[in-house]
Amino acid sequence: MKIILKNGRILDPSTDLDVIGNVIIEDEQIAEIGDDVEIEEDADEIIDCTGLWITPGLVDMHTHLREPGEDHKETIVTGTQAAAAGGFTTIACMPNTTPPLDTPTLIDYILDKASAPDAGGVFVAPVGALTLRNLGEKVADLAALKKAGVVAVSDEGCPTQNALVMTRAMEFCQQLDLPIMAHCDEASLSEGGCMNEGPVSSLLGLKPLPRSAEEIMVMRNCLLALHTDCHVHIMRVSTWGAVEMVRQAKYLGARVTCETCPQYFALTDESMKDFDPNYKTTPPLRTPTDVDLIAQALADGTIDVIASDHSPHAAYEVQVPFDQAPFGMVGLESCVGVTLTFLTHPGHLSPLETIRKLSTAPAQILRLEAGTLSPGETPVAQVTLIDPELEWTFDVNKTFSKGKNTPFHGEKLKGKAVWTLCGSEIYRDQSFDESRSQVDMSEQSIEN
Amino acid sequence: MSRNLLSIRHLKADEIRDLIKTAQDFKKHVTAGKPIQNVPRRTVGLLFFEASTRTRVSFEQAASYLGYNISVFAAQSSSLSKGETLKDTVLTLKGERIEALVIRHRSSGSPQLAARFFGGPIVNAGDGEHEHPTQALGDALTILEQRKTIKGLKIAIVGDVLHSRVARSNAWLLSKLGAEVRFVGPKILMPASNALLPGMIYNDLLPGIQDCDVVMCLRLQKERMADGLLSSIGQYRRSYQINRETLKIAAPDCLVMHPGPINRGVEVDDWAADGPLSVIQRQIENGIFVRMAALTWVFETKTKPKATKTKKGATV
Repeated sequence: MKIILKNGRILDPSTDLDVIGNVIIEDEQIAEIGDDVEIEEDADEIIDCTGLWITPGLVDMHTHLREPGEDHKETIVTGTQAAAAGGFTTIACMPNTTPPLDTPTLIDYILDKASAPDAGGVFVAPVGALTLRNLGEKVADLAALKKAGVVAVSDEGCPTQNALVMTRAMEFCQQLDLPIMAHCDEASLSEGGCMNEGPVSSLLGLKPLPRSAEEIMVMRNCLLALHTDCHVHIMRVSTWGAVEMVRQAKYLGARVTCETCPQYFALTDESMKDFDPNYKTTPPLRTPTDVDLIAQALADGTIDVIASDHSPHAAYEVQVPFDQAPFGMVGLESCVGVTLTFLTHPGHLSPLETIRKLSTAPAQILRLEAGTLSPGETPVAQVTLIDPELEWTFDVNKTFSKGKNTPFHGEKLKGKAVWTLCGSEIYRDQSFDESRSQVDMSEQSIEN
Repeated sequence: MSRNLLSIRHLKADEIRDLIKTAQDFKKHVTAGKPIQNVPRRTVGLLFFEASTRTRVSFEQAASYLGYNISVFAAQSSSLSKGETLKDTVLTLKGERIEALVIRHRSSGSPQLAARFFGGPIVNAGDGEHEHPTQALGDALTILEQRKTIKGLKIAIVGDVLHSRVARSNAWLLSKLGAEVRFVGPKILMPASNALLPGMIYNDLLPGIQDCDVVMCLRLQKERMADGLLSSIGQYRRSYQINRETLKIAAPDCLVMHPGPINRGVEVDDWAADGPLSVIQRQIENGIFVRMAALTWVFETKTKPKATKTKKGATV
């Protein structure tokens, strides 16, 4: 099987490559790439990529696949299908399932399910639970988890309140060379809260989630990272204060990386329509100042990664009063569109830097064989074609994810992943222009 | 067709005037002992997810004067305590051919949610810390019985504004009718920001109520002590109590109001609550008439044609 991607804009942040050129994929591997690649017409399929970006398969380091235990929200099958549809070829799944992913058996379970034939055909990299039962009390058997294949451990869903527990965990992880993905929230400040503290929470009479709840914990985890020399990845940075904490930590030499999510540079608490739980997330949607400074921090490199924080819920769970609704929104299938619309097209990020945040950087943080188009660097070719100029309307009723909870439903977006290749698996979006594709029928007719 | 009464914030000043005018008409009828005529019989569900006696009784009285049938669903006594979702409860009552719902709920925004599923009119009888529209309408009616107009009045809302749905609805209503609204109380009991709320914040009592035509006291919930928001009741009383002494700085004929239930001796003293300036008793009574107005208004699609020209007395 030979596929030629012809005349596209190749964006490979792993080699800082940004050229118009061709990519040849042969036997599920990237064979050749560049602006000087000669192509012959001998391929099984030749795709005219004029106007498209040819990027490494996107990597989402923060996805909730909800299995085991919460398959009414999402399954590994539907979640990986959503990933492929969103342009992702590798996703890291979070451990706050029921039960939490705190033992090797559960990691095996995830990996088995993810490689099932009906799954989306993308790589799933499990993230293990930092503490047993994800209770924040006793550190899990991290060595065993690492051996079972976790790429990081996390306290997602149960931010570790006890500083001693977090210190111990970092000491273990430093020795194991395993990143900690930290959910930063000081529970004593955030308990009962459901939206950003400010004019809108005051207007609606909703209990606030103050920014200090996030920032204090970012600061603590940054300092512990500095003192233990553990690699700590701060998840979902949403405030300018949290950005400053990370900036300082990096300046001081701490091994700290961080991510933000599309909602934190696209929406504010003022975007929330009256009491719509689709806007409820933690940390909450903040203010226009935060949005501006998050975009700046992405541009200056303080924020390394754009992650989806794909958090599906069942419809009935979201059809409740705002304060009773669960936190989170789906993101895999809107991530590229929202990122290009709100960051890339307005000029905050170059196309190459956009792809770095969405692919190369998360792959490097989790030491995944992904996020690059260099021949031989990945077990199989992972390539995404993005049409940056495609204007479309995000419609949750047409998504693969079981979760339909999103504030972006009906949003007009510009830019979309239209074709995703992960080894032998190819997802072609509905919007993929089939006239671009030239399939060699001769070989098929011989086979027939 | 019908409409909802979910919040004062979304009402136009004319709609507010219309509701108050209707309430004034009902009051005339009821106090004259005349039956209410030409009001179609309706079946209304009173859905009280949160314990409430005063508001519930007031709605029951209003419905009874209108000749409505009512079904009462209270949290302790029905499927509400069996884990049914608000959506399912509302759909059930819709199936039971209940024509309108009056909802009291501890969660801000729950009447909005109910409205999505019910189809018929919804009256918000108090949602969390968001709004309590009929309380504000009754308070406005009470003020208008004492003053020619609300326009230009200085009105202080004193106490725990942060957690108060009464404060929010009153601030919207009174400011829409042209009053100057002040939120008065300790910083810790004030909203995090008043940028989107129609009221100036005063952290000291005396500057806050100075020259005010109306002082509305809010109930100081005992839980605020447990939450650590107040050091002591005594401290609060000494700093923020509305009493004979502190009222001296307000306008001489200042009206003292309270949505109840009163913590006598905490936010108000006996003199303020029972004395010549108090209109608290009238507020309670007027609650019935504005609820009658609300229960008819929601069944109409647009402003009712004026049956009678405004006669003597208050113009809204």
